[in-house]
Amino acid sequence: MDKVREDVLKKWTPEEVERVAGVPPEQMKRVAEMFAKNRPSSIIWCMGQTQHTIGNAMVRASCILQLALGNIGVSGGGANIYRGHDNVQGATDVGPNPDSLPGYYGIAPGSFAHWARVWNVDLKWLQGRYAPGMMSKAGITVSRWIDGVMEKNENIDQESNLRGVVYWGHAPNSQSRGLEMKKAMDKLDLLVVVDPYPSATAAMAAMPGEPADLNKNRDVYLLPAATQFETSGSVTASNRSIQWREKVINPLFEAKPDQTIMYLLAEKLGFADQLVGKRDGKQNIQVANGEPVIEDILRELNRGTWTIGYSGQSPERLKAHMRNLHVFDVKTLRAKGGVDKETGYKLDGDYFGLPWPCWGNAALKHPGTPNLYNTHLHVMDGGGNFRANFGVERDGENLLAEDGSHSKGADITTGYPEFDHVFLKKLGWWDELTDEEKKEAEGKNWKTDLSGGIIRVVMKNHGCYPFGNAKARAVVWNFPDGVPQHREPLYGIRADLVDKYPTHDDKRAFWRLPTLFKSVQEKYKDIGKEFPIILTSGRLTEYEGGGEETRSNPWLAELQQDAFVEINPRSANDRGIRNGDYVWVRTPSGARLKVKALVTERVGADHAFIPFHFSGWWQGKDMLPFYPEGAAPIVRGEAVNTATTYGYDSVTMMQETKTTVCQIEKA
Amino acid sequence: MARMKFLCDAERCIECNGCVTACKNENEVPWGVNRRRVVTLNDGVPGERSISVACMHCSDAPCMAVCPVDCFYKTEDGVVLHDKDLCIGCGYCFYACPFGAPQFPQAGAFGLRGKMDKCTFCAGGPEKDSTAEEFKKYGSNRLAMGKLPACAEMCSTKALLGGDGDVIADIYRARVFKRGKGSEVWGWGTAYGKPPQGQPAQGGKT
Repeated sequence: MDKVREDVLKKWTPEEVERVAGVPPEQMKRVAEMFAKNRPSSIIWCMGQTQHTIGNAMVRASCILQLALGNIGVSGGGANIYRGHDNVQGATDVGPNPDSLPGYYGIAPGSFAHWARVWNVDLKWLQGRYAPGMMSKAGITVSRWIDGVMEKNENIDQESNLRGVVYWGHAPNSQSRGLEMKKAMDKLDLLVVVDPYPSATAAMAAMPGEPADLNKNRDVYLLPAATQFETSGSVTASNRSIQWREKVINPLFEAKPDQTIMYLLAEKLGFADQLVGKRDGKQNIQVANGEPVIEDILRELNRGTWTIGYSGQSPERLKAHMRNLHVFDVKTLRAKGGVDKETGYKLDGDYFGLPWPCWGNAALKHPGTPNLYNTHLHVMDGGGNFRANFGVERDGENLLAEDGSHSKGADITTGYPEFDHVFLKKLGWWDELTDEEKKEAEGKNWKTDLSGGIIRVVMKNHGCYPFGNAKARAVVWNFPDGVPQHREPLYGIRADLVDKYPTHDDKRAFWRLPTLFKSVQEKYKDIGKEFPIILTSGRLTEYEGGGEETRSNPWLAELQQDAFVEINPRSANDRGIRNGDYVWVRTPSGARLKVKALVTERVGADHAFIPFHFSGWWQGKDMLPFYPEGAAPIVRGEAVNTATTYGYDSVTMMQETKTTVCQIEKA
Repeated sequence: MARMKFLCDAERCIECNGCVTACKNENEVPWGVNRRRVVTLNDGVPGERSISVACMHCSDAPCMAVCPVDCFYKTEDGVVLHDKDLCIGCGYCFYACPFGAPQFPQAGAFGLRGKMDKCTFCAGGPEKDSTAEEFKKYGSNRLAMGKLPACAEMCSTKALLGGDGDVIADIYRARVFKRGKGSEVWGWGTAYGKPPQGQPAQGGKT
């Protein structure tokens, strides 16, 4: 933290903040005082911080600010990243990222061994599915699939280019570089869309592109998926609370629940038994009428996801919560008394939805954790501390917590590393395990002990935290910028800032792909002369995500009938543009968007904003003829991401949708 | 007997249009007919405020006063309703209404407008309560089911309150007291009458 303070105080005088960010010193002072004098406070963001080349740095800066203010680990504080859809958190937790198995276990050989045991799948079989050396190598991120298709083969860090893509509940117009995405779609061998709506993907694929790009043997499949109302299951919110959702109606038309589609695919591809963990007379997930039982899927996750405490939220406990909403306090989330009539389960003390971490197995009856890192509570009451995740010492400095810093009532009153069988034996706590637990826990750590015994003894008997007790990490030494740094975007209007705040060097193999930073920035350093307005994008209340589903809903569609660009009165007047006029928005990608002008002071004179929920127009033309008959959304409009430019976060590879440059002309 | 009123708290409205969507869905109101809408003033500049507007079910309703066929009537709860079988679509009510509440489904030749449509406080119309005929002409009759209007029930910030005038006035008064500002309730003077000097507002408790 001292290093961060030193760096920030040296570089960011009020004058420099104003020069770079445009925030006047008085305003900066007012905001700083507001934060300093009103604690706790919470910082909330969505994609505005993350979808930049320096997204990781901005997010860490927010977290560091909250740490410095003492706003972490307290009720009312926190660094809160709101998710755009109702189960993004849950989807992330089960591991869609190309560098991790479920529960953020990573892809090390040990992680595969753990999950093979949980899944009741033969590890050797699993290993046999991978080409040599690829099993523990992070894959290509969704943001870059187009480069996986189009990059020269010798430049990519895997044997072959991508040939097939499956869009499973994902909108193509939420990703940048739309023009190139269309080309990539045409080159594929296989394109599958699994969605309640055919989505913009179907229309984009059907729309004729350049004849030279089209792979004549390409197959496109649309698989209709059930909506949330046509299936049941658990859903995780941004606060890590999990709710159980009941089916309202049976799937309409040919739609099937996601789990059924997965099972049918696995059957065709020859690994249906592995999908449901059927081996040696055991079967993890029962299949009823062709549908894997959703409760069993959660139970399997519970059995394996010890890392983030996704283990105590059994379907039975979650359902009891849903039946007894009234016993939970709306401010603290905590149940005051209450017995579930149907099962006799005692709800008293549980936090609503058992926000993870809900440690150990369901029998441990951990109440869930409404606020992370809260040392004011006992660990069995939802308390905790910072994680020992980065070793115990670095450059002679102790990374663990100092004496006296620990969760309430902990037997160990100083810092400690994460628990495993060796540590437990050293502490003399080993014999508190049952014989059964000892058999399972031998040679394991808290994350891989499937009995949950290590966690039980550590938490219930000794009030300690399974992942250790350490200091929060302000300087992330393994990231490109250990102390978060400002770096100018690849496409900007401030050539004068690029020399002082240059972007990163190009990377040769980053998530298997060459990734450009500095070479793009240098090439387009003076792009602001031709494209003098910064273009950003974001959300509207009326629509969700790519918007295909919500723009098909007449009540919502009526409220936002046209794609638009917010433009400042000064910029509009200079260009002869009036409110409601059609305009062309051009970007360096070569794309042109025909949208309506919304003249407003909400954006500055050097800024413009376009919501990203629209699709169904392509550079001025309606794509209606390319949707399957009767499946086009009521409202169609230009997708801003048809025109967004190259640029990826230097750690996460998140696409840069929040900053590019444009010019706007009256249409 | 309760006196039903709407109240929109401009300090709380976030222009999410949840009320509009709830109304559309509850009553299956066709495209282009807006029983309720959110109006934003000073959009995009500091001081921006939004309010949700629909028929306020006025105490002395101008629409009732001007209707040439006398199609309006007031329920025991103070809700202003109308009979579409009598309505001739003349549009007088639209000119009389200070809130722009009356809506017309058509804009045909010779000024043809079709039968007037407006917010019913989710109380249906003259047909028998909760029948298919009533729903087709007027939408849902939630009051008959013991429920309050869908718009206010759906409001995520509880900016829009709908219900017994005494109860919602008390809720609002407590808010004003706590935050120390915003005692002006938009539209209440127009809809429910300004209190004479030195006396409490109509319908409010002392």
